[in-house]
Amino acid sequence: MDETLNLTLKGALLLLVILLAVGLPRLGLAAQVRHLRQMRRRVLLEDALKYLLSSSYQEQQVTSHALAGALDISHARALNLVAEMESAGLITSHTSGLRLTPSGESWAVQVLRAHRLWERYLLDEARMPLQHLHREAERAEHRLSREELDALDAHLGYPRQDPHGDPIPTASGVVPASQSKSLLDFPLGEPAVIHHIEDEPAALFNEILEMGLRPGSLVRLIERGERQLKMEIDGQQVTLAPVVAASIQVAEAPPPEPEREALVPLTELPDGQQARIQEIDASCRGYTRRRLLDLGLTPGARISPELSNAFGDPRAYRVRGTLIALRKEQAQQVLVKPTNQTSTPRNGEEHALTQA
Amino acid sequence: MSRSSPLPPEQVLEVADRLQRSIGDRFRDQIVESIYDEAEAISNSVVRQQDAGGVDWEQRIDRLVTSPIFGLPLMLLLLALVFWITIVGSNIPSQWLAQWLFWVEAKGSALFDAMGIPWWITGFLWHGTYRGLAWVISVMLPPMAIFFPLFTFLEDLGYLPRVAFNMDWLFKRAGAHGKQALTMAMGFGCNAAGVVATRVIDSPRERLIAILTNNFVPCNGRFPTLIMLAVVFVAAAFPPAFASLAAAGSVVAIVLVGVVFTLAVSWGLSRTVLRGEPSTFTLELPPYRRPNLTRILYTSFIDRTIFVLWRAITTAAPAGALIWILANIQVRDANLARLIADALDPLGWAIGLDGVILLAYIIAIPANEIVVPTMLMVYMGVGMMVDLPSLSALRTLLVDGNGWTMLTAVNLMLFSLLHNPCATTIMTIWKETHSRKWTMVGALMPLAIAFIVTFLTAGIARLLGLV
Amino acid sequence: MPLRKPSAAACHSCPAHAQMAKMGIQLENFDRVVALAGNPNTGKSTVFNALTGLKQHTGNWPGKTVSRAEGGFILNGVRYKLVDLPGTYSLLSASDDEEVARDFILFGQPDCTIVVVDATSLERNLNLVLQVLEITDHVVVCVNMMDDARRKGMQVDLRKLSRRLGVPAVGTVARTGEGLSELMSTVAGVIEGAIRTNPRRIQPSQEVAAAVATLTPLIEGIVPGTPNARWIAMRLLDGDDRVRRALLSGELAQLLSRQSARSRRPSRKIALEGAQ
Repeated sequence: MDETLNLTLKGALLLLVILLAVGLPRLGLAAQVRHLRQMRRRVLLEDALKYLLSSSYQEQQVTSHALAGALDISHARALNLVAEMESAGLITSHTSGLRLTPSGESWAVQVLRAHRLWERYLLDEARMPLQHLHREAERAEHRLSREELDALDAHLGYPRQDPHGDPIPTASGVVPASQSKSLLDFPLGEPAVIHHIEDEPAALFNEILEMGLRPGSLVRLIERGERQLKMEIDGQQVTLAPVVAASIQVAEAPPPEPEREALVPLTELPDGQQARIQEIDASCRGYTRRRLLDLGLTPGARISPELSNAFGDPRAYRVRGTLIALRKEQAQQVLVKPTNQTSTPRNGEEHALTQA
Repeated sequence: MSRSSPLPPEQVLEVADRLQRSIGDRFRDQIVESIYDEAEAISNSVVRQQDAGGVDWEQRIDRLVTSPIFGLPLMLLLLALVFWITIVGSNIPSQWLAQWLFWVEAKGSALFDAMGIPWWITGFLWHGTYRGLAWVISVMLPPMAIFFPLFTFLEDLGYLPRVAFNMDWLFKRAGAHGKQALTMAMGFGCNAAGVVATRVIDSPRERLIAILTNNFVPCNGRFPTLIMLAVVFVAAAFPPAFASLAAAGSVVAIVLVGVVFTLAVSWGLSRTVLRGEPSTFTLELPPYRRPNLTRILYTSFIDRTIFVLWRAITTAAPAGALIWILANIQVRDANLARLIADALDPLGWAIGLDGVILLAYIIAIPANEIVVPTMLMVYMGVGMMVDLPSLSALRTLLVDGNGWTMLTAVNLMLFSLLHNPCATTIMTIWKETHSRKWTMVGALMPLAIAFIVTFLTAGIARLLGLV
Repeated sequence: MPLRKPSAAACHSCPAHAQMAKMGIQLENFDRVVALAGNPNTGKSTVFNALTGLKQHTGNWPGKTVSRAEGGFILNGVRYKLVDLPGTYSLLSASDDEEVARDFILFGQPDCTIVVVDATSLERNLNLVLQVLEITDHVVVCVNMMDDARRKGMQVDLRKLSRRLGVPAVGTVARTGEGLSELMSTVAGVIEGAIRTNPRRIQPSQEVAAAVATLTPLIEGIVPGTPNARWIAMRLLDGDDRVRRALLSGELAQLLSRQSARSRRPSRKIALEGAQ
C-alpha cells in the first residue's frame, strides 16, 4: 500500500512538471526554440560582418574557408552564409576574396560600436571587472537596438575610447583614427601612456592586467631585447615577453601637470585635518563621479575626515555641513590640498583640529 | 518667437550632440560646481553662525558608537537587547491572544456541531483553516508589534546608518554593499520586509545579493523554533542557574552563523553569477534626531506590521486547511501525514532530521510559524495542530518517543536558519525583482545550502561516532 | 457643499490631469496637486505626515520599485493632494529615485512643489532647490528643523533666503507643527498667483553658458514659450536620455500646450474675487 501510494504521488508530481513546462505561455518549448534559432542566425551573421571588417582593416583577404575557420562552422554552412549575405547586399565576392559593401560595412561598424559602448558602460556604470567586459559585450552587441545604442552613447557622454583604448565609432559610422603605436616600436626611455590592451586571447589579457597595466597607466620602456622587454611602471620594473608587448599600444605621455604635486588623496588626511577639494581624478567616471559631485564633493569645497570605524575603512568626512562616509577606493580619487585656516568653525571642527 | 523656421527636433539634437562632444566630460563637473558655488554663496549670506558653546554631544556619541574598540560590541549588545525585549515582551500578549483566538475556535466549532453541520466541514473550517490563521497571528503579531517600533526608533534616531558604517568593510570584502546590514536588521523582524528594505541599495547587483541572502537572518517566525530547541536541548545541558543564559547564547550564536553565511554567500555570488566590483559606497551619517513617537507607531504598524501580517494571513489559512486534510484522511491504519512522513524518512535521516520534520517544513512553506505545531501534531498522531506541552513532556516526546538526539537539535537549528524563505518572502522577491529566474534562485539556493550543510554535519557527526 | 472650483468632471477632461492619471495618481477628489521634494534626512516624511494626517495611500511608482506615498489636506475649501517624492540629493544622477522625482516635477506638472530643506545644512540642501527652480516656477521652500538650527546657534534669515531664491521660504518645525499653516497658505498663494515667483537660475561657467546659449533658442523654436528651455538645453548637453526622447516625440511640446490651457482657465483667485 505504501509503495503504490508513493508511486502515485511521484507520478502526479512528474505529470504536473511536464504540464507546466509545455503549458506555460511564452515559455512553451516550441516558442523558445524558434526564438533561439532566430537569435543564433543574427549572431552568426553579425560575427561574420565583424570578422570581415577587422580583416579589411588589417588588409587581409577573406575566403569562405577563412570565414568558416574564424566562426568555427563547417565550410558548407559558411558558403550558405556567404550566399545569404550576398543576396542581402551586405558583401560582394571577388577573386581577391569577400568584401563588405557600404551597407555591410555600416552594419559591421554599428556592431563594433555596440561592443565598445557596452564595455564602457559595464566598466563605468556597472563596475564590472576589466577581464570580464569582453565576454559580456560579445553577447550584448547582438542584442542592442539602434535607438538603445544612441541613448547609451548620449548617456555615457559620447566616450571616444572603450576601456581597452580602442576608438568607439560615432553614430554616423565614423571610426576615429588611433594615434597610438605598438609598445614594440616605441622609443626607449620616453614616458608613454598605455592607450590600448588587446583583450584577446583572454589568457594574455589577464596576464597583462595582473602586472598592473591598464589603459591610461604611465610606463617607460627601459630595455628591449630579443627575448624580453623591461619597462618601468609606478617606479617598479617589470619584464614582459615580446608577444605580450605586441598586445599593448602606447602613445606619448602628456607632460606632467605641475600643480598635481601638491595634491594628496583624501585617504591620506589625518582625522580632523582641514582641506580643500582640488579635483576628482579623471579615472573616476560614470556613476561614481556623478554621485561624488552630487554629494557636494566639488572642487573648492572644504572637507575634513572625522570618523573611522574598527576596520579603518570607510571613513566619514564632514563636507558642506554633513558627515558623508566614503570607502577607500572612492576617497583615493578625491584629491585635496590641506589648509590651516579655520574661517568659521562648525560642528566640532575646533575640537578635531586640536587633535590634529 | 518670431523665428522664421524652427529647426526640427532631430537637428536640434544633432547640434546638442556636437556641443556635448566639444565640452566632453567636463560638462557635468562644471554644472554641479556652479550649482554648489551658488548654494554656498546663498547659504553664507543667509545663515549667521553663533558659537553655541557647551559640549558637542553629537560628536562624542558618534566617536563612541563608531569607535574601533566599542563600536562593534555596542552594536551586538543593542541587537541582543532588542531581541530580549521582543522575546520577553511578546510572551504574555502571545498567550492572551492565543487563548482568545482558540476560545473563538472552540465556540465556533461548538456552534457548528450544535447546528448539525458534518464533522468534516467543522474540522476543515475551524480546526484546519481557522486554527492555522489563529496560530500565525498569535505567534507573529506580538513580536512584530514590539520589534518593528524598536527598529523604527533606532532608524529615526539615526543609529542605523552608523551600523552600516561599522559593518561596511566586511560587506565590501564580500563584494556587497554596507547598507545590506540595514536590510538584515530589518530581516530579523520579517524577511519579506527585509527584501523590500533592499531598495536603499542603488546598485542592482548589490541589491540582488542583499535580496537573495536576506533569508539567512532568522525572522520572527523562525525564532520560536530556535528558542524552543535552545531551551529544550542546550539549556537542559547546563545547571539551572546558567540555563537561560545558555539558551540566549545559543540563539545569538545561531544568528552569528547566519551572518557568516550571509557574508560567505554574498562573496560567492559576487564572484560567480553576480560578478562585479563593489559599487560606490556613499552614505550620509545624519545628525541624531529626537524620534517622533506617533510617527514611529504609525510607520511600524501601518507600513510594516500590518503589511507583513496581511501577507502572512493570506498564506497561512490555506496551509492550515492543507494540514487538516493531511491529518484527517485515513489510509488503512495511519493518516496521510504519517504516510508521507514515513516516505520522507530516508531523506530526513540523511540530513540528520526525520520525515516528520521535513513534512512540517514542506507544509510550512507559506509560514514558518507553524513548523513546530505541525511537527508535534504528527508525532502525537492527533488530527489538528497542537500547542507545546510542558518542557519536560516535550523532551520526553522528542527524545524518548521519537529518537531525537543533539544532532537532530543542531541540524534542525541549522536547517531552520538556512532553508528556503517562506512563501510571503518568495512572493516579495518576485515583486521586487520581476524576474522568475532570481525568484527561483532566491527560493532554491538557500534550500540547497541547507541540505548540503545539514548533510555534512550529519555525516561528520556519524563518522566521528558522536551519535 | 458645492465647491467654487471648476468641477472634478471638468478637470478630468483637461489634458494635464490625463497625464497625472497615467502616473498612477487619481484626482477625482482633489482640486490641486502638490509635490513634496527634499534631500533624505530632512524630516520630509514628518512634514508629509503632519500635513496629511493618517489618511495616506502608499504603494509603488508605476513600473518602479520606488515607494510612493500620497495624502491630502483641505485649506479654505480647496482640496490639495500631496505627493511625497523620493528623497534625493540631486535630480541629475539618474538613479531610479531621482528619475521618479524629476519625471514627476517635469511631466506630472504639479501645481506647486514644496522642497523641504534642513535648516542646519542649508548649503547642501540648496543644491536640490536650485535644480528644482530650473524646472518649475511654482516652488515653496520649507526650511525645516528650525529648532535644531536655533539649538546649534544658527540664525537663518528667511526673508533674505526668499529674496535670493526668488520663491517663498517658510521656516517650520514639522515635529511640533510650527509653521505648517503658514506653509500651507503660502502654497495656496503661489498656486493662486497671489504670490509671484521669480526663481533664481543657475549661472553656469563660461564654456557651458555658451553652449547653453546656442541651444536655448533652438529649443524655444521647437517648444515655443517653454519656461525651462535653458534647463532642457542643459539636460541635452548632459546626455539625458529621457529628455531627448521627450523632445523627439513631441511630449515636451504637448506638456506646454497643456500648461497654457490650464492658465487660461479662470483662476481660483478670480473666482474668489467674483464670490466676494
